[in-house]
Amino acid sequence: MSADVATRGNLVSADRETAIVSLRDVRRDYALGAERVHALQGVTLDVERGDYVAIVGPSGCGKSTLLNLIGVIDQPTSGTVAIAGKRVDAMSDREATQFRLRNIGFVFQRFYLLPILSALENVALPMAEAKVAKGARLQRAAELLKYVGLGNRERHRPSELSGGEQQRVAIARALANGPMLLLADEPTGELDAKTGTEIISLFQQLNTDGTTIVVVTHDEDLASAARRKVHMRDGRVVES
Amino acid sequence: MLAFLLASFLFQTPTPIGRASVTPDSPQPRTIAIDEALAARANLKVGDRVSVSARPGVVGDTVIVGAIVRRGADPSEVARGDLLVRMHLDQLQAISGYGDRVDRFAIATTPGADIPRLIDRINRVAFGFKAYESREIAVETSRTFQVVSRFHRAIGIITIVASSVFLLCIMVLKVDERRRDIAALRLMGISRATVVRSIIIEAAVVAVLGSALGVVLGWIISQIVNWHYQALYQTPLAFSIVTPPTVIFAVALSLVLGIAAGVVASLRLVRTPPLALFGR
Amino acid sequence: MRAALAQASLTRHRGRTILAVLGVAVAAAMLLDMVMLATGMRESFRELLLSRGFEIRLAPKGTLPFDTDATIPGVSAIIATLRTNPDVREISPVLGASIHVLAGNRDVSGSVLGIDPSVQGDYELLSGQDVAASNFIVGNDHLLNQLGAHIGDTLSVAIGYDPQTRTYSGQRKLILTGRVKFIYGANDQSSAAVRRETLEAMGGQNHDRASLFMIRVRKGADAERVRDWIEKQLPNVTAISIATAIKQVDERLSYFRQLALILGAVSLFVGFLLVTTLVTVSVNERAGEIAVMRAIGVSRSHVVEQIVIEGVAISLAGAVLGLALGLVTARYLNTILSAFPGLPMAIDFFLFQPRAAWSALGLLIASGIGAGVYPAWRAASLPIAESLRREAIA
Repeated sequence: MSADVATRGNLVSADRETAIVSLRDVRRDYALGAERVHALQGVTLDVERGDYVAIVGPSGCGKSTLLNLIGVIDQPTSGTVAIAGKRVDAMSDREATQFRLRNIGFVFQRFYLLPILSALENVALPMAEAKVAKGARLQRAAELLKYVGLGNRERHRPSELSGGEQQRVAIARALANGPMLLLADEPTGELDAKTGTEIISLFQQLNTDGTTIVVVTHDEDLASAARRKVHMRDGRVVES
Repeated sequence: MLAFLLASFLFQTPTPIGRASVTPDSPQPRTIAIDEALAARANLKVGDRVSVSARPGVVGDTVIVGAIVRRGADPSEVARGDLLVRMHLDQLQAISGYGDRVDRFAIATTPGADIPRLIDRINRVAFGFKAYESREIAVETSRTFQVVSRFHRAIGIITIVASSVFLLCIMVLKVDERRRDIAALRLMGISRATVVRSIIIEAAVVAVLGSALGVVLGWIISQIVNWHYQALYQTPLAFSIVTPPTVIFAVALSLVLGIAAGVVASLRLVRTPPLALFGR
Repeated sequence: MRAALAQASLTRHRGRTILAVLGVAVAAAMLLDMVMLATGMRESFRELLLSRGFEIRLAPKGTLPFDTDATIPGVSAIIATLRTNPDVREISPVLGASIHVLAGNRDVSGSVLGIDPSVQGDYELLSGQDVAASNFIVGNDHLLNQLGAHIGDTLSVAIGYDPQTRTYSGQRKLILTGRVKFIYGANDQSSAAVRRETLEAMGGQNHDRASLFMIRVRKGADAERVRDWIEKQLPNVTAISIATAIKQVDERLSYFRQLALILGAVSLFVGFLLVTTLVTVSVNERAGEIAVMRAIGVSRSHVVEQIVIEGVAISLAGAVLGLALGLVTARYLNTILSAFPGLPMAIDFFLFQPRAAWSALGLLIASGIGAGVYPAWRAASLPIAESLRREAIA
């Protein structure tokens, strides 16, 4: 039941060995004042279905930039990005938005819950956008909150939740439309050690239940919990 | 043929714009002066012959347009659309059947004359008429414009109240935009008073600059208003005058309102705990 | 969901929202007042002219009714000429003059109308009896109050005053039979009415003359055509239809219309500016939130919709409040302008006309939409990754 909750919705029936994320010689440059910053310098990377990958490296190495490209919230300067075999690097804004909505779940360091909505409403938000009926989306949102251990905190606003609880709500929100891929950018960055551990366990459980996860992190414990580590330095993958 | 006749023995002397030359001895028709509006409406110019009568459909005296004059700045005449003709008194009396009568006399006194005493003397011996100082009559005939003035003042008050609300609103919004900066300053140890003072100085600078711009804009608009209405009503009357007291009042009020808005906006924020400003 | 988000967002900063609504309300009130001013006089005047059903008025050539002391000679001949047109249903000749009503050693001066009571359209009888006989007179409350007179009193009325000999001319005793309200009368004017032949007899010089003719046309007849016919038949009069009269009044009061237009435009602009500022500040504060919504898959147009709903909600609330405020201030301003000397009591400068009012407020709300769209679209179009990074730094 639990596994179903996390992964149902957008499962593509395919061979477990198929790469769900495929980057080929991806570069990302952007202007910073008068200077030109080469955030990624020819990254080639595959993430298999069901994998749990941690991208690690020093600050400014391009980890978050890489994650943003995988999450289709940014576009590469050159190279190709494919998610489940579909090219996403040259999508229009509308296509990219729709793709994100249905296929990708994003968890941020700072949670970014809408303070004006309750936990339940925050989780239901992506489903509302995906035009899921009100009754159905509230029911699924309740199930997801139960899955992440917050079944009794549905009506609480983010300001009434601890950091760890907020991050759990954010994870539940990321799973709302049953994405094929869960991306997390420093998900334990704003949490204390104990709470961080709880989140790490939750990610492991999600992966066991079939969710493909890519995390970017400085947290050694979180990186160790992943099945694979990708090391980056100066915009390149140095070890995979 | 002139169908309407408005003989007006005005206190002010209209400015002649054009004059015909008529030699005194020649048996020529007598001359009249008309105003610009009439000249334009009837397509008349100096030297044209016209017929003047007091009754429509009746052939009257033939006269020559001797001058085209500009009307004085009499507020009670503006917007009435009246057309002015000036004639020799005896000719008008004859045409209108008025006989040896007039509506009023205008008296110019020698410099330094004791006018109240003169009026008193006239009224004591007056038989069938009364003397007034010109100022008194001007006040009476300007009742229309007193109403307009009151109206303007009411609009002005409403505008000031409205502007105060707008100013406060925008000030609160703009200061609110910087809530995180203010929170950071407070967390650093900067006192409430310092924060409020800095916002007030900012508000005052904006108010001064805004006032200066407003004065220039107001002056330009005043010129446009005068140009437009003087052309529309064919009058030299000034509809809008920017005077030093007006400028001082406007600038002072803007400053006061601007600073007050800044005070209210800043006090709102400095009274909130800094962490709350960060949204925690 | 979007409406709920918008509502929640507005209540998050209650004070700010209330202030913005107040600001828009003030703009809406001014806009409404200016619309009322621009259209009020004309409509009020038209209603007044049409109140008794007289579509055409004849005045001495080149003048407006009672603008001057001029009169039209040959009343009987004029009436005979007018009756040859089958479209002319009723003719009411009116003679105007000044009177002096003598009470003891007091001289109350006012105006008098000489009318034909069977067709007159100048006054309403409030109490008593109309001027059925030639020695009857009716007066308005202002006159009666000044005299301290009552129905049934005999008044000594004179038509002329010679300041040289200090004597009254045309003096006679008339019985006050009725209390009336003059439709075109001003608030502060003492007015009376007698039969036209009575006034002619008192006046001496005014035999067979009228200051004004009021004409009712046959139902369905074209008043403008009748007016043109009259002008051709009677060269010594000016025939004024309702449309012409309104046009002339419009010209004289064009100043107020132009003022109304300018102030109305400024109000609309300020309302627009206010909503734009509010929306801009609001989206700037929520740049991170907006980026996250975009990141989780909310489309740009839906983000814009939610923000625009906030702008519209403020405009709508402001418009409703502004309507009430505008009606109150209009009443106050109308009281000021009603003091114009000689202005008929029945004329309102500020007249509430539903269609014009709703159009104006609709325009304000539409501008609220427009004001919200651009800042919202800009905010929703910011690169997501960059916005998130900036928020992280902040």
